[in-house]
Amino acid sequence: MAVYERSYGRYTGPLTAERTRFLILPRYAYEVVLKSKLFVGFLALCYAPTLFGLLIIYLYHNLSALQLIGLTPEKLNEVFPISNEFFFVGLWIQGLLGFFLVLFVGPALISPDLRNNGLPLYLSRPFSRSEYVLGKMSVLLILLSAITWVPGMLLYFLQGYLEGAGWLAKNWRIGFGFFVGSWVWIVYLSLFALAVSAWMKWKPVARITLALLFLVLMGFGATIKNVLDTPWGMLVSSWHVIDAVWMSLFGLAPGTDLPPAGLSWVALAGGCLVFLWLLSRRIRAYEVVR
Amino acid sequence: MNALAGAQTPSDRRVVFENVSKFYGEVLGVNRVSLSIPPGITGLVGPNGSGKTTLMNLMVGLLQPSRGSISVLGIPTDRPEELFRHVGYATQYDGYPPGFTGYQFIASYLRVHGMPAGEVETLTWKAIERVGLTEAAGRKVAGYSKGMRQRIKLAQAIAAQPSVLVLDEPLNGLDPMARAEVIALFRELAAGGLHVIVSSHILHEVDLISDQVVLLNGGYVVAEGAISGVRDEMEEEHPAQVLIRCSRPSLLASRVFEQDSVVEARIHDDGKSVLVRTRDADRFFLLLNQVVLDNDLGVEAVMPTDDNVHAVYQYLIVGNGEKP
Repeated sequence: MAVYERSYGRYTGPLTAERTRFLILPRYAYEVVLKSKLFVGFLALCYAPTLFGLLIIYLYHNLSALQLIGLTPEKLNEVFPISNEFFFVGLWIQGLLGFFLVLFVGPALISPDLRNNGLPLYLSRPFSRSEYVLGKMSVLLILLSAITWVPGMLLYFLQGYLEGAGWLAKNWRIGFGFFVGSWVWIVYLSLFALAVSAWMKWKPVARITLALLFLVLMGFGATIKNVLDTPWGMLVSSWHVIDAVWMSLFGLAPGTDLPPAGLSWVALAGGCLVFLWLLSRRIRAYEVVR
Repeated sequence: MNALAGAQTPSDRRVVFENVSKFYGEVLGVNRVSLSIPPGITGLVGPNGSGKTTLMNLMVGLLQPSRGSISVLGIPTDRPEELFRHVGYATQYDGYPPGFTGYQFIASYLRVHGMPAGEVETLTWKAIERVGLTEAAGRKVAGYSKGMRQRIKLAQAIAAQPSVLVLDEPLNGLDPMARAEVIALFRELAAGGLHVIVSSHILHEVDLISDQVVLLNGGYVVAEGAISGVRDEMEEEHPAQVLIRCSRPSLLASRVFEQDSVVEARIHDDGKSVLVRTRDADRFFLLLNQVVLDNDLGVEAVMPTDDNVHAVYQYLIVGNGEKP
């Protein structure tokens, strides 16, 4: 008969906060992506439009600098008016760059864990499936924030500071539109990328699938629009849908080729639900054999 | 057979399955499993597809049962946050994040486990030292040999200092020296009161290390308990075999065959031994002492030949009645 001395003691020391534990995952993901010079170069490029915006705002408020390059405030205002549209175009460019960033980072987030049977390693700990998805998603949430709403809001507040006299309050819709519009796109794109990464075991295949889904659905939407002569067809195109949402957030008149803003919100929410469902089907410790 | 359930260990120190079934759609994983596993080393034995891994996944809460209930040290497996504080699991798969060193591999999962930075370093080195990989801790896991990978997997399972260690095929790929070290580690952990639950195809190893075994076949538990206890319960259907090497085998054979419990006594092929089959091994050994003394026999060896896991496995799963 075995005699058990009970000399073994389990760990009873301190633990980190459960709410922030998912942030362990991005820490290791960044170590991997930042090793790529191509990625670091692209990330730096993502700040070029912000720097350009910064330059315009600076010139607006610095007559001597403006004169130095032979421009007048009126001329500058004619070409680059600091308005809803100025910030909308900024978000549009940053949003597009965000898509390319997601193409680079997104497919590598879940597929290696699935390919290497790594999920049980995470899920056999006090770490839920939701926390795993949130942890992986936070890699994209943080990176996309860093190139969308963070620089956008900095420009917004800088313009407000330099302009003074209630500019911020008067143009609250710009700040609101930039912040909310960025987050809607960030969440949608992140879930889209994670869902594709969860279903495609190989990174290059996941990357191509993500790009193709984006482009094919855009083409499909355009075909429906042309054949049936209705902008509703563009509801399947993520880019047109987010464009319509952004325009509504910035209070701009929607283009004729865009779907209605209300339905675009519904389409985005529906897309997010589909991505979450796809993730819930795949993020399991073991595949279910049927 | 319910030898495990009968032992005197309170249920909050046991791994308990109560009438558990798991189906994957229409495919049977395990069916009507009732177990009560005490501390010590428990071996899960069964052919491929018998339900070993399913049983382990149910035990660690990665799968939820279709029917029945499971508790680990009194904690239901549907409360993962609490359960995983007590459980360390190593799967049979090599699931390593690409590019990680041995140290990073252990440390990163300890962080996911919720250990603060200071504790992570201490616990990581402790686990790495226990599995003998200190020298290789700074090398990438991708460059490890199969045996080293098995050991680093074991290290990640023990690093968080769990109370229940569940290891799927932990001895696969280990060389004899490493195997002996790992088995010694299992024994050390089990002797301290830890549950060490291992699955293996290698029967003699299970026999060597396990305090008790659970034999599975086709999703059903076909036997459980200490090997000797399981074997005793099978004596009626599968009489125990004992090989006695002695000076006068013919005389011994004729004397023991007079007993009711002995169903066969024959001279072994080597002509120097008697192979006895008996339905009551305890009584037979008493009788054997008496026969040896009464007849002044010189006995070189007395060897039970089928009181091991291999024999039990053969009887219950492979041959269903054949002699091992």
